Amino acid sequence: MGIITVDKMDHLFWLGRYIERVNTTLKAYFEVFDKMIDMDENYYKKICNEIGIPNIYASKADFISRYAYDPTDPNSIISNLKRAYDNAIVMRDYIGTETMSYVQLAIFDVENAKDSDESYRKMHFAIDHIFAFWGCVDDQIDDRMVKGILRIGKRYERIDLYLCFKKPISDILPELDRLEKRLAETQMKYNESTMFTFKNMLNDKNFNYSNARALFATLFDV
Amino acid sequence: MKDLCLHTSAINELLARYGVKFGIYKNGVFKEQLFPFDSIPRIIKKEEFDYLEKGLKQRVDALNAFLADIYGKKHIVNDGVIPEEFIFSSSGFLPQCDGIVPPKRIFSHISGIDLVQSKNDEWYILEDNLRVPSGASYPMIARELCRRSSPQTFENNRIADNRDYAQLLKKVMDNVNTGGINVIVTPGRYNAAFFEHSYFAEKTGAVLTTGSDLVVENDNLYYVDFNGKKQRVGAVYRRISDEYLDPMTFNEESVIGVPHIFSAYKKGNVAIINAPGNGIGDDKGIYYFVPKMIKYYLGEEPILHNAPTYLPYYEDDMKYVLDNFDNLVIKDVAEAGGYGVVFGSSLTKEKKADFIAKLKSEPRRFIAQEIIDFYDIDIIDEDGKRVPRKADLRAFVLTGSETKVWKSGLTRFTRNEGSFIVNSSQGGGFKDTWVLLQ
Repeated sequence: MGIITVDKMDHLFWLGRYIERVNTTLKAYFEVFDKMIDMDENYYKKICNEIGIPNIYASKADFISRYAYDPTDPNSIISNLKRAYDNAIVMRDYIGTETMSYVQLAIFDVENAKDSDESYRKMHFAIDHIFAFWGCVDDQIDDRMVKGILRIGKRYERIDLYLCFKKPISDILPELDRLEKRLAETQMKYNESTMFTFKNMLNDKNFNYSNARALFATLFDV
Repeated sequence: MKDLCLHTSAINELLARYGVKFGIYKNGVFKEQLFPFDSIPRIIKKEEFDYLEKGLKQRVDALNAFLADIYGKKHIVNDGVIPEEFIFSSSGFLPQCDGIVPPKRIFSHISGIDLVQSKNDEWYILEDNLRVPSGASYPMIARELCRRSSPQTFENNRIADNRDYAQLLKKVMDNVNTGGINVIVTPGRYNAAFFEHSYFAEKTGAVLTTGSDLVVENDNLYYVDFNGKKQRVGAVYRRISDEYLDPMTFNEESVIGVPHIFSAYKKGNVAIINAPGNGIGDDKGIYYFVPKMIKYYLGEEPILHNAPTYLPYYEDDMKYVLDNFDNLVIKDVAEAGGYGVVFGSSLTKEKKADFIAKLKSEPRRFIAQEIIDFYDIDIIDEDGKRVPRKADLRAFVLTGSETKVWKSGLTRFTRNEGSFIVNSSQGGGFKDTWVLLQ
């Protein structure tokens, strides 16, 4: 393919981000779901706080339903998945019909889970299709630039969410290393000074997650 | 075939998986929906296709000759074959295109010709689509999924493979390419045929763009990447209509076009597929004259016939139309997509009087046709029963270094009993079209 415009780069980047957002938040959702089965039925409040989304949910049941399936809740898993789809569908010529289809299949998984009495189990199929999506990216897309931008979106989102979840710095560092490699490979423009400061913050004993996240949000302000 | 029919719902699920959808606006709201697929194909025998192929090539060659003439010396008007009122009063005639000769003198590279087969086995042309005919992608991807779902059906029947459409399309683009890449210009994600645009880009290797990444400099068209690097464009398969193509030449309010692309085209620096101005060739009023064009330009008798058509513009035809109003279908030449079609027998007394008054005051605006009782083809209805429904055929004729007819086509059917309206925007579905090899 060889030529990527600003618009297309944007779509690829956000496709990678939304897919990763669904992946990581689905895992968090499963963790919350599990805890709320028999341990703490208010555990969802903690997750809302960590992800930084408003707790608009009236109860455990309300969270389980709306956070997963409510298309009118902009933070829900289905909303993020549909945003991924919106970015995928305009990139069919770059990522291919087959790769794109795994985003659609993940949407079907979530929609099918919604109406099922086995929703918790069935939601796991969405994770399978997200993995299949990345497998298809590896296997079927030859263009290194396209793959690289998708992965930059993925790593960027993952680091952002790790900062939200206050994951250990030892988890963040390898992700940052991968992000830097992709940036070098694609020559995508980013703010090198921000990157330098962010890395210094990660090495600081008094690391502040909120400050680091705010800084990281400006990485592509160039 | 039975085995294939058993897989109808599975094939529709696969079509959904691969995003084979079309968008429609209802009450101002955009909605994406699936294009229902019925697995019972239209089957065209080899000798029948050979006949259709000859007739379609002849028709498209004549239409290309007409477009070259009408934007050139206008012999056909000067010789009195077509009255000039039918040319210059048509919204399809673009004065801006007068005198322009497109690369390789091809105007209609991709022609979608709509046909029906009557119950006496005669094929009739219903209309020509020479601007941006759509629909080839649907049978193309459906065939892929049918083969996957029921390989034995294709093992047991000798059917021409229709998955070569993208290669044919690429050859058409390459043939007129003036040096540079091929691009497909789409109005965007919310266009009804966006699936087709993106699928063809994927399958032909052309770049899909909304036009915002295209710039014209020194009368050359360029595609600009994220670093500002420019790559020359040699052929544009545009899926936007003429009026939105270039705000500097046509509709100045267009935000989906490419400023100055028409200048690049005019200088011969880029090919536009199909050529701007083709609307004059598929005007429903001009349709009446296509058999005359075939005789005029090719010196041949038309192989395929129009549905018997009357022009209220002519006094004799107006009289016939008024005398036989209830037996005719009247079409507004300015409408498309199944809209503006009125069956005389369906009107109440008052509405009929109103309509006739309109017909008399604007005779050039309408054509009238005999209602062809065309073949029903079975579909599987929602209850799983085989029921007959009206179906038409859109044949695709591609003009590159030679004119070729794609060995397939889009068969559209109505889902409503007794209806003749097959358009997807009005609830119709589609079928694959098989051309038998022996």
